Parts: sequence; structure tokens; C-alpha cells
Amino acid sequence: MLTYTLRRLLILIPMLLFLSFLIYLGLELTPGDAVSYMISPERYATMDPAELEAVREALGLDDPFLIRYAKWLGGVLKGDFGYSLQSGVPIRDIVFDRLPATLELSAGAIIISTIFGIFFGTISALKRGSIGDNALTLAGMLGVSVPRFIFGLLAILLFTFHLKWLPVGGRLRPGYEGFMDRLPHLIMPTLVLSATLVAGIMRYSRASMLDAMNRDFMKTARSKGLPEWRVNFVHGLRVSLIPVIVLIAFRLPILLGGTVIIEQVFQWPGIGSEFIGAVRSRNYPIVMMIAFFTTFAVLFVSFLIDLFTALLDPRVKLD
Amino acid sequence: MKDDVIISVKDLKTFFYTNNRCNKAVNGVSFDIKKGKTLCVVGESGCGKSVTASSIMQLLPKLSRIENGKITYHSNEGDIRIDQLKKNGAEMRAIRGSDISMIFQDPMTALNPVYSIGFQISENIQYHTRLKKSERKDQSIKLLKEMGIPLPEQRINEYPHQYSGGMRQRAMIAMAMACNPKVLIADEPTTALDVTIQAQIFELMDELKEKHDTAIMLITHDMGVVTELADDVVVMYMGNIVENGTVDDVLRKPSHPYTKALLESIPVLGRGKNQVIEPIKGSTPDPYNRPKGCQFAPRCPYADSSCLVMPDESSINNTHSVRCWHPMEAV
Repeated sequence: MLTYTLRRLLILIPMLLFLSFLIYLGLELTPGDAVSYMISPERYATMDPAELEAVREALGLDDPFLIRYAKWLGGVLKGDFGYSLQSGVPIRDIVFDRLPATLELSAGAIIISTIFGIFFGTISALKRGSIGDNALTLAGMLGVSVPRFIFGLLAILLFTFHLKWLPVGGRLRPGYEGFMDRLPHLIMPTLVLSATLVAGIMRYSRASMLDAMNRDFMKTARSKGLPEWRVNFVHGLRVSLIPVIVLIAFRLPILLGGTVIIEQVFQWPGIGSEFIGAVRSRNYPIVMMIAFFTTFAVLFVSFLIDLFTALLDPRVKLD
Repeated sequence: MKDDVIISVKDLKTFFYTNNRCNKAVNGVSFDIKKGKTLCVVGESGCGKSVTASSIMQLLPKLSRIENGKITYHSNEGDIRIDQLKKNGAEMRAIRGSDISMIFQDPMTALNPVYSIGFQISENIQYHTRLKKSERKDQSIKLLKEMGIPLPEQRINEYPHQYSGGMRQRAMIAMAMACNPKVLIADEPTTALDVTIQAQIFELMDELKEKHDTAIMLITHDMGVVTELADDVVVMYMGNIVENGTVDDVLRKPSHPYTKALLESIPVLGRGKNQVIEPIKGSTPDPYNRPKGCQFAPRCPYADSSCLVMPDESSINNTHSVRCWHPMEAV
């Protein structure tokens, strides 16, 4: 168990190195650089090339690609994530400033979608073929196939413009600081983000539960004289949860970086909207850092999933 | 009612409804399971053996139901009409696993992979007794020991995948025997096991029968097992019982052409490689497109026009009955 954990954590290092290099390379191959974004096209056209070079040199953009990557990597290893090319603010500050907003949003969505997804999926499987099951199946199909931003826009149309219940976006109003003040802002983005996730988890847990219900051990459980709730929930649900939990866990890192669109729709000041801005302005230190963190989260979560499945399923051996 | 009978089944009909078609899987069978005796139910695949067993336990799949007939359990507290109990009602559940229990074909899939063997045995005791948790554990260890599982104190915490096939079936039997049932229904309990393990499992079942006076309803298509274990034999074909009697009646003096054909189709160890094995001609009819009258008639060498009408059960002696227009003479 311990050797397994150590081995898995050690493997993370070369994988992170390789992936960060790939991302850096991708950015390098993208046309344009931060300087071309910072200076207006009119001035850019008339500027002295020597002057442009000076700006590039000041930002450290004139070094060859590999040297820049090495410098960046050296900084990261020392805990120095660099500075935003536009504002000069340390990236550490930007991340710590933005991350809580994203975590607030995605944690809410994960919790809501896990509870409702598994609940509706299991009920749907138990009442297979009923009106409720068909309605949930239809809703699930819609939830999976309609893009999130459409849900977002529809929600704004309904709750902000027609019903006037909720604010259109943002996270805070000036002068208000407490969580209760933030809550009205949080509701819509969280629910819209959850909607798609609930749909996916529901479809999956329904299928998994149906599969479990057809297994022989359910008949054995009944043959012991157990009541139906125990047969379904202690025996059926417990077995059906294993793949569902894995699916949910794989969504965790996606939510760190994957709330991009929702954050855009609701002007949510999270990592996602920062990421979009940074990509547009070729602000590569920020793009690198966010991509690097997301990569790390994905790799780390997949390791956690392995530990967790071993815990859930006695048949899984980690060695 | 004779008081040596523990379960009597009378004219049981269990039908399956799929795609608006009706499969008369069990079409009017009557038999008795006697106290402390072994009843073997034999027949080809799909003849309704398992459905009959599931009907007694009320464990039928969703698309099927008991259409007609009586299943009476003669308990110590009086007769209980199982077919009239609610499928998953409290009364039926009190009988299942306690008075009548069941073991299945494949012990790997019949055990829940995510719970320890101890948990699964103890669960049965929990729902039928008032024992405390620690007492249930002791009881489970005792059961595993009785089933011949070595180191039961350790193995009780292990999971099904850590057991071998034979051990799993032993654990399954421990689970079924947990509350000292009056009747143990075994649905082809050794089909998924090696031949040597099969013998051990049957030996164990026979031992338990003697020790606890448990009646056994054994579904099998192994005629060797029937000779070894059975007190009574029921031969089924296409949802009907074609012959019913003691093991001597049926195996020594088979009256129904189907029983005779079944016995002739089995190679006998020691008779050498030149023995004549006579397969039954043709194949079982489509259950949705049944022949008229006697179901075996199209494959029967003795069939004539009278076989277009279903024969009634006729007695040969007071233990032996047959459903045939031309019962065979004793050879």
C-alpha cells in the first residue's frame, strides 16, 4: 500500500514535466505574443523594431524557446510562478484571488449533482418503465445534450428578466461581503452547472443500478428473506455505486478548469474567466500556471480514484 | 393430508409473459416434498424445473406469475398457502431463508462481491432471529466450520473472490442452513463446479439432511446424483411432470417413454466404450408453438393418434404415477 502510493506519486513527476512541456510548446506555436496584444495595431505598425525588441527583452520574451521553458520551470520549482505580463501582478496572488470563487461554484455543483444524480438515477432504475422514469430519461437526455451556455442564457432570461428573482451575474455587490450576500449570485451559476452534471450522473447511475438489479446476488438476498429496501439499497445500490463514484471523481479536476463557459456567462470572477482572458492576450505565465494546476489535479485525482475504488471494491488490489 | 409431507404442490401453473406471448413454463404440476427426504427433479434444460423452485420461494422474475394451483407449506404452526402470500410481504419473507431456503447454480455470481462472507451469512440470521451481533458472528463461524471450511475465524472476514468455487458453494450452503430450514431447495448446485468438488458438495448436503432432518428439493440433470441421493424422483418435460415416484420406481421401472429414453441416453461408467448410448431423437419443441396433447409425442417411438390428447396422471402403484397413454411394462 505504501510502496504503491510512493510509486504513484513519483510517476507524477515525469508526467507533469512532459505535459507542461507540451503545453508550453503549444503556446509557443500559437501565432502572436503578449507584446503584439498589449500594443494597439496602429502603433504596432509604426513602431521602431528596436523599440519592440526592447519591450520583448524587458518581458523576457527574446530568449530561445527552450531557455524560456527552463527558466519558467526553474521558477516553478522554487515556488515562483512568475508575474502577469499585462499587470505585473504576481500570479500566485491572482490564483489565490480567483480560486475561491471557482471552488465555491464547482464544490456546490459537485455536491448537488452527486446527491440528485444518484438519487434520481436509482429511483429511475427501481421504477423502470414508469411515467416518472420516462420523464427523468427525457430530462436527462436534454440535460446531457443541450450546451451549458444555453441553459445559462435561458436561466438569466427567466430568473432575472422575467421573474426578477436573481441578479444577472457577478459574485458580489460593492459594500457587501458576507456569504449570505453572495448567495443570490451563487444560485444560478451553480444550478446551471449542476444541471448538466446531474443529467450525466443520473443516466449513468440508472444504468449501473439496472445492471446491479439483474445480478444473481439480488435473488440470493431475496431468498434470505430480506425486505425489499435492504435488497435494493444495501445490496443493489452499494454495488452500483462503484462505477458511479469513479465517474464523479473524474469530474473533479474538470470542474477546476471546466467552469470556463459558465464563468463567462455569469461574469463569475473565477479561474475560468481569468484563463480565457489570459489565452486571448497570450499572457503565457498565467495560461501555463492554470493549465499546470489543472493537469496536476487530473493526475492527482486519478490516483485518488484508484485508492478509493480499492476501498469501495474488495476485489481491487493495489499492488 | 399425510403428515410426512412438508410442502405439497397441487396443479401449479406458472406462466411467463413476454412480447405479448405467453410461455406456459410450468403447466400444471403436482408433487409432494416429504419431511427429511430428498426429492430430485430431473429433466432437460427449459422444462420448468427452476421455475417450479422459484414458484415455491415466490422468487419469480417480473414477467412471470403463478397463474393457478396451490403451494401448501405444512409448518409446525399449521398449513400456509404460499401461493396466496404477498410476494415480498412480511409473511413470505419470514418463511424465506428461515423455513425454506435456496442455493443456486453459480456460487460466484450468487454471492455479493462487495460484502464479506461473514456479513452475508450473518444477514440471514439477523432477519430471522433476535441474536446480537457478536452471537451472530459466533453462529456464522460455527456454520462455516460445519460446512468444512478450514480456519473459519479468519475466512469469515474474507470476500467471495478469495474463496475457491467449492468453498463458495459451501459458504452459500452455510448461508442457506443458517436458520435450520425445514426445506432446502438446491437449483443445480454443482453445475459450475469440478466433478470432484461436486461429489463433496452432495456428500455435505446428504450429511446435513441426516443431521438436521432437512428436506431437500434437488434440481439436477445428473442421473448419477439421483441414484445416490434421491428418495423420490420427479421427471419433468415441457412444464409437465411425466413421471413421479420413489427412486426405485422411476430408475428401475421407468414407465414413461421419456424417462426410459433419458436413462438410455446416459453412458455408464464401467460398461466399456462399446456400450450403446441412445440419444433422444429430435429436439424440445418451441415453448410458443407446442404440440397438441402429450408434449413428448412428436419424439416418442410409441406415439399414436391417442397421444393427440393430453393423458391424465395414472397410478401404477401407490407411490408411482405416470402421465402417458402407453406406460411401459416393467422390464
